[in-house]
Amino acid sequence: MSDFLIVLLGTTMLYIFAVGRIEAYVKTLSLQGLILFLLVLLDIKEINWLNILFLSFETLVIKAIVIPVFLLTAIRKNEIGREVEPYISQFYSLLIAIGIFVLGFVAAFWSAQVGEFIKPLYFGVSIVLIISSLFLIINRKRIITHILCYMLLENGIFLLSISVANEMPLLVNLGVLLDLFVGIYLFVLFFNKIQEMYDGNHIDVLTELRD
Amino acid sequence: MIASILLIPIIFSLFALLIKNKVYNRIVLIGNAIIYLIIAIMRWLNVVWFVLPAWLLKYFSFDDVGLYFFSIMSIVFLATSVYSVFYFKESNLTAYQEAVFIAELLFFVVAMSGVILSTHIALLWVFIEGTTLTSALLIYFEKKKSSLEAAWKYVYICSIGIAIAFVGIIVLSIGSKGIDSLFFENLYKYAAEKNPFWLKIAFAFLFVGIGTKIGVAPIHAWLPDAHSEAPSPVSALLSGTLLNSALLGIIRINEIFIHAHQEDFINFFLLLTGFLSLMVSSVFILRVKNYKRMLAYSSIENMGIIFIALGLGKAGIYAAMLHILVHSLSKTTFFLTSGNIYYLYKSKKIESVNGLLYSEPKTAWLWIISTITILGVPPSPAFITKFLIIKALWLSNLGWLIIPFFLFIIFITYGMINVATKMSFGSSQLSTNNKIPGYAYIPQFILLLILIIMGIIIPQQLNEFIINAGKFIG
Repeated sequence: MSDFLIVLLGTTMLYIFAVGRIEAYVKTLSLQGLILFLLVLLDIKEINWLNILFLSFETLVIKAIVIPVFLLTAIRKNEIGREVEPYISQFYSLLIAIGIFVLGFVAAFWSAQVGEFIKPLYFGVSIVLIISSLFLIINRKRIITHILCYMLLENGIFLLSISVANEMPLLVNLGVLLDLFVGIYLFVLFFNKIQEMYDGNHIDVLTELRD
Repeated sequence: MIASILLIPIIFSLFALLIKNKVYNRIVLIGNAIIYLIIAIMRWLNVVWFVLPAWLLKYFSFDDVGLYFFSIMSIVFLATSVYSVFYFKESNLTAYQEAVFIAELLFFVVAMSGVILSTHIALLWVFIEGTTLTSALLIYFEKKKSSLEAAWKYVYICSIGIAIAFVGIIVLSIGSKGIDSLFFENLYKYAAEKNPFWLKIAFAFLFVGIGTKIGVAPIHAWLPDAHSEAPSPVSALLSGTLLNSALLGIIRINEIFIHAHQEDFINFFLLLTGFLSLMVSSVFILRVKNYKRMLAYSSIENMGIIFIALGLGKAGIYAAMLHILVHSLSKTTFFLTSGNIYYLYKSKKIESVNGLLYSEPKTAWLWIISTITILGVPPSPAFITKFLIIKALWLSNLGWLIIPFFLFIIFITYGMINVATKMSFGSSQLSTNNKIPGYAYIPQFILLLILIIMGIIIPQQLNEFIINAGKFIG
């Protein structure tokens, strides 16, 4: 079951590579939050109940509902429909995505050989998520897409942390969640300000400061 | 003690937001800085008290190296808080705007204290990200287009960097068989048992992530923008204390790898980034047109020098520790003085500032002496640190690196002295009769006095203090 969910998570990433509408990104983010929640539930025999409660709250409430809704409001308020033409065209982006997936699966196979305390498929897909989101950040132009890809990166890191059989203390988890939350809030605040001050909302408008 | 460091500023700043009174604002800001200094002195005299419950207390500790960084932070914080009063007056802020500024500033200082006090690597990460989020609002405080751009770049690049560092923390816990504690104490204890392969991967992620926050080349893109667009007191804190706290993070993390006998591996990267930072800053300082950006590049240069000193292992520890202190104090005076210049000339362009010596001699002398102290012209203690680094390079059989080290420093010295003379001499076109009050230059004079006395003779107790802080390494 968890293998099926993990593959589904990887597929959502491929979908993001192919999609152009910004709202579809947010819905995919929300779906990823839901999948992560189910993965946490499947791990239930391994972690203590307090952490389970906390992780469920983090994935189901924050990642799947609160942040996507918050981002969707910002997008609708600023009337952003589609992503503009990226630096590397869609076709080549997909080729690169396939390359990243191959790399991820190689990493999964390899980590299974090493025999450390890792869940191989989790590990491979989390690497795919992290590298893809970094690639998307470099390739896309809209500031809102950058914020969404930051969330994707955070999802990848979350998956990596549950692929290792270690858990963080609750205090640290709380801190991480608070940082993520305030971070997204600030991103959206600055994004709205940039929309107000500049006509465009591409990163190309942010080129005043240079030597 | 730890509770008072982390909670008092937060409580008082919330009151400041409610009361909205100018006198109370100033009392909160300067009072908190004095409380910090008193706590540092208490800890110096080994007077310690703890009120936190034991389960929470294990996440924080106040060791010698932490005390050293905390003391530097207290001094810089006091100087900037006194100067901030001048900033409030010249910007004509309302009581509420002042309160917002103070609240953001105090939250920022608390986050930095958290970085210094953390004993758990992931908690350190949480506080470093906290410093990014709290200072981003301060950079955007003046609500101009340029400060918005700087704040966006800063918060975004640093958040991505810190996210990458978190990957490093997770990888660090992969490489340990059955040891699942991420307290520094345990990481040091079991470092030698960890799998070196995973350790090296973890180091790469952590180094890139926290290096972004320190602003060493080639991941320094945000630093000149953020430091030049922030209000002057904030710039001083960013350069004088924020870079230090991130640096302490790197020092604590390096210690894991030293315990795992990976010194050669990490020293190579420290030296490489150190020299790269020197190279980048020397190129840009020669062509820079904005004096606050020049100071930001100088910060990159000094972080590079500290990295080189750390990369020389035991031989460079004393130089690194001393240089951290010297850089913090002189860069603080520099940034606060740049606030005076901006107030007089209303421009950050070097070409708009002329004849400072005739229009405002005190500020001009501050500018010139700060230049001298940061470049390491005797009697500046930076001269001692650079001399020690060259000596350590020679003794580590890396003598050939002395040539690029010298060359870059000569370029930077030429660039900065050039700018200082351009701004200080010449004929003044200043027709305003803006007077700068005493508290806008007395803090800087006191800091420079400390530095110059240190350049002539370092007091015995201070020397022992620096050596004790350095004992943490290795």
